[in-house]
Amino acid sequence: MTSVGSHPTETGRRDVVLAAREVAKHFPIKEGVLQRVAGHVKAVDGVSFEIRRGQTLGLVGESGCGKTTLGRVVAGLSEPTAGAVLFDIDSETLAAYDGGSSVGDIETAHKVDALTGDAYRRFRRNCQMVFQDSFASLNPRHLTIDIVGRPLRVHKEASGSGLTERVVELLEQVGLGRQHLYRYPHQFSGGQRQRISIARALALDPELIVLDEPTSALDVSVQAQILNLLHELQQANDLTYLFITHDLGVVRHMADHIVVMYLGTVAESGPTSAIFENQHHPYTKALLGASPDVDAAEEFTGLEGSVPDPAHPPQGCRFHTRCPVATARCGWEVDDVVRWIEDEPGAAGRLAGVKRDSAFAAELAFDDAATAAVVVDAIRSGRIHASMPEAVLKAESRDSRVDVEFGAVPDVELSVRGPGHVAACVHESLLDL
Amino acid sequence: MTESTMPIASIRDLRIHFRSKAGVVHAVDGVSFDIRRGETLGLVGETGCGKSVTARSLLRLNPMPPGIHAGGTVEFRGAGELPVELTGVDESTLRAIRGNRIAMIFQDPGKALNPGLTVREQIAEVFYQHRADELLDDIGLTDRAGLVRTLIAREASLRSRWIERGLLRVPPLRAHRAALRRAVDDRVTDALAETQIPNPRAVMDRYPHELSGGMRQRVMIAQALACNPDLLIADEPTTALDVTVQARILDLINDLQRRHDTAVLYISHDLSLVRRVCDRVVVMYAGKIVETGPTEDLFANPSHPYTRGLLAAIPSASHQRGALAAIEGTVPELVDPDPGCRFATRCGFATPMCETTDPGLAPVAADHEVACFIHHPVPGGVGPAYEKAAT
Amino acid sequence: MVDIPHKLPAVAPSTESALRVRLRRVRELSASVLANPTTVLGFVLIVAMISMAVFAPLITEANTPDPYQMPRDWGALNEPPGTDGFLLGTTNTGGDVFYGVVWGARTSLRLSLIVVGITVLVGVLVGSVAGFRGGKFDEILMRLVDVFLSIPELIFALAIAAVLGPSFGNIILALAVVFWVKYARIMRAQVLHVKANEYVDSARIIGDSGWNIYRRDVFPNAITPIIVQATMDMGHIVLVGATLSFIGLAEAGLAEWGVLVSEGQAGISAGRWWASTFPGLMVFLWALAFNLVGDGLRDVLDPRTETAR
Repeated sequence: MTSVGSHPTETGRRDVVLAAREVAKHFPIKEGVLQRVAGHVKAVDGVSFEIRRGQTLGLVGESGCGKTTLGRVVAGLSEPTAGAVLFDIDSETLAAYDGGSSVGDIETAHKVDALTGDAYRRFRRNCQMVFQDSFASLNPRHLTIDIVGRPLRVHKEASGSGLTERVVELLEQVGLGRQHLYRYPHQFSGGQRQRISIARALALDPELIVLDEPTSALDVSVQAQILNLLHELQQANDLTYLFITHDLGVVRHMADHIVVMYLGTVAESGPTSAIFENQHHPYTKALLGASPDVDAAEEFTGLEGSVPDPAHPPQGCRFHTRCPVATARCGWEVDDVVRWIEDEPGAAGRLAGVKRDSAFAAELAFDDAATAAVVVDAIRSGRIHASMPEAVLKAESRDSRVDVEFGAVPDVELSVRGPGHVAACVHESLLDL
Repeated sequence: MTESTMPIASIRDLRIHFRSKAGVVHAVDGVSFDIRRGETLGLVGETGCGKSVTARSLLRLNPMPPGIHAGGTVEFRGAGELPVELTGVDESTLRAIRGNRIAMIFQDPGKALNPGLTVREQIAEVFYQHRADELLDDIGLTDRAGLVRTLIAREASLRSRWIERGLLRVPPLRAHRAALRRAVDDRVTDALAETQIPNPRAVMDRYPHELSGGMRQRVMIAQALACNPDLLIADEPTTALDVTVQARILDLINDLQRRHDTAVLYISHDLSLVRRVCDRVVVMYAGKIVETGPTEDLFANPSHPYTRGLLAAIPSASHQRGALAAIEGTVPELVDPDPGCRFATRCGFATPMCETTDPGLAPVAADHEVACFIHHPVPGGVGPAYEKAAT
Repeated sequence: MVDIPHKLPAVAPSTESALRVRLRRVRELSASVLANPTTVLGFVLIVAMISMAVFAPLITEANTPDPYQMPRDWGALNEPPGTDGFLLGTTNTGGDVFYGVVWGARTSLRLSLIVVGITVLVGVLVGSVAGFRGGKFDEILMRLVDVFLSIPELIFALAIAAVLGPSFGNIILALAVVFWVKYARIMRAQVLHVKANEYVDSARIIGDSGWNIYRRDVFPNAITPIIVQATMDMGHIVLVGATLSFIGLAEAGLAEWGVLVSEGQAGISAGRWWASTFPGLMVFLWALAFNLVGDGLRDVLDPRTETAR
């Protein structure tokens, strides 16, 4: 690569390229004529990780888990509601920050949404992004040379024939060439457009590239080309990747370290081999079980139910509503009973009202006493979930009303399962389950 | 052949072309295969290979124009019925087959379901359309003659006019109409219950946007299977779904298929899914079939360089990072294509003769056919070989 | 959707340059606009009528002192078309219909250019700021737009012009006040739509400024519906202007088609059809021509057909 230009970077030597600390992003839900805030969608709700120089961190999860929102926060496209994204920081400083010392100073120097002036420009140059939809991420009215040359123009690194030569160099790095300079995006195939996006991301010689599902819209044969290219570029330019994807095969191939997200939080995180060989979270296990491997003919299985509403995430462990190995300690709550009632042919439509004292205690009012009795019986007998009777403190019917109370359970915290391997599950291990 | 061993559908030398600004695109160019009774046949290939166009020709869903039926036949043999040549039948015959004998589920249930209709209305329409007589049976009106029967029959087949609908609101007709509604509701409930939707009675009154992606897909399956079709076309039915939901939906399709002995044409770009779901596989590339065979045999001995390339391109644990076997280049243009093998431009084993002569499908094992000179006796020349290219 | 494989153009020659590619693009676009015969018809009509407006002083001698006032010949009232010196006849006050038709084109061109110019400028500016910045300004603007849109535009313009008093200048002012809202609304919607594209995020990621992003990414991709609408409105505004003039909101005796139609209508029952028909026909042709071209532009400028995605 050619010279870095007129803005010498100080970055490049610190070992942690990016660290997220308890990052949250909540979107207000507005209602009515007055656009009153009626609640928040907790798209990302307290996520921490760090990406070391030259490594690839895979961020995995299904739709609605918050991975894309988190990617946008990391790339500085939107500001976190809480928490901090720290850029280019060494391990010692990060340890000090985690320990709570000189937090203010460290944030001034490293926190992305607090950076100003040159420091912000340095971050902007060094953190680039490639999106899933190669069509939407290239301005349809711009030629390749404008698109790839734009970062160089913005940061005044090149102009005129120098710019053209630099763009040709970048295009050659991604497997395109001079003949593609004066074409519009729609004249390329999907794979070629994604190469152009990558060339643009490379233009400023960045340290970190956020790759948001970069190959999900491509055919496998083309995906393989792009994955190979990304690997080559990482080797050649000492790049660090945050690789966001739903495809476990791809992430296994590309990532050194994996963060599995569910409903805005981290379910499990660890080195790729640990995640694939020894899962400590049932969600990770379910994801793996559901992703068929072409080499093996083993059966694959899925999960019951669908992802809960992120505006009202479940108590305790957020996965407990779909978890095949949920226990009494996983956060059974009033909503679990309500959800069961809605799906139960004999009881649906007979729930007249819910008076909540907390997420764990409420008074349910029914149209008739019989339904109330059925619900109480379902809670006590374990028909709703086998572990529910153990979690319930009180389930009594008074005519057509039911008082129900569960033992309050705190959110399940991440606990250490191995070197660099953490999981948020009440089970010590999933091996004998 | 007896009826039970005859294929449910036979596509022969099908050619569908599309007019475009650049010329005539040969999207499907001489495709022949059979769908056997009760089997799951996978139609695999990448974007633009013509798999969807081929499948849609079974329901004549390709827009014409710009599409052109440039040749070939699609013969369908419904259970206990005479064979029908689908490319030539009239609209009314086709309507009687669509949604009834051949049904289709799409990739995006959000688009395939009408957002303005409740689940009940979407599914009820299928029964009104194809099962009006049975509905009359259900409410015991079959043997009755006269006005009542006529009016209710017209209502049941969605043919009543406003004045008749007005009459139907007056007793005693109102009672019959209510009975008809109940009969349809029962059938809709049964159809939904088949897809393991919890509490179908409650789901019936919801609109598609109120349901999750997985639920919407179940509703679409319920709708497609409502009339117990002989053939179900599933066009990437799980691509828009999360993986944890995908497995359930595939299990469901599989289960329903077994119980009703439905043949499934499963269209997908995902080989690892096809391997699990299908009995036989047809691999398409650039408008032609390159390989076809029983799933096990095809995955154990992939014989066409393209099939091999596709399998090798899937990232897996065994690959060194950065060393995926990508197929270089892009799909060739299908405007006035060259006469040779369409894969020749991207094939690592291609010889000059591959560019000028179309290899055509020929058997390599029982039921397993490949369109490649590596496996064929070569007409007067030296063909390509895997060993040669390896050195 | 039918998955037709991607069309890749042949390898570009090495003499290629950005300028050439863009010029070729302009040529291709204009060629596809002109491929539609009805668009060509509209285009020819527009050129003819604008030429008539521009060269009015050469076609008929300008009236003095005010060329926009109809010349009156009190000695030649109600002359039928073809009368010597009065190609299209005269009105019941001796006005030369031909003069009115020719100079009326000039009046109409002036009206439509000024009104469209002002409303597009204001509308695009307001809509852009509202859509791109959002926030309080956006909310206030949208409420204002709601109010404007709940009153029929003709009645609104009529009320304003009536309050300001009868003059052609006031008609222009009234139309400008009414019409900018439409552009503001279209532009705002377009900006919001374009802003959601990832190429805007991509531009932010490389650190480009808000103004540059607006100028290079948002504006060029948002403006096409405005161009189409403005073309259509060039015709529509003359129609509305003529209506206002017809009911007497312009100065009497103005060389304007609506005024002329109004002057001539009394004679229709007496068989003097010409004084209303010719200017009426002009209004119709003017509106038709711009509509035809606007439709043609919409087909070509629609990004979906443009990029053949």
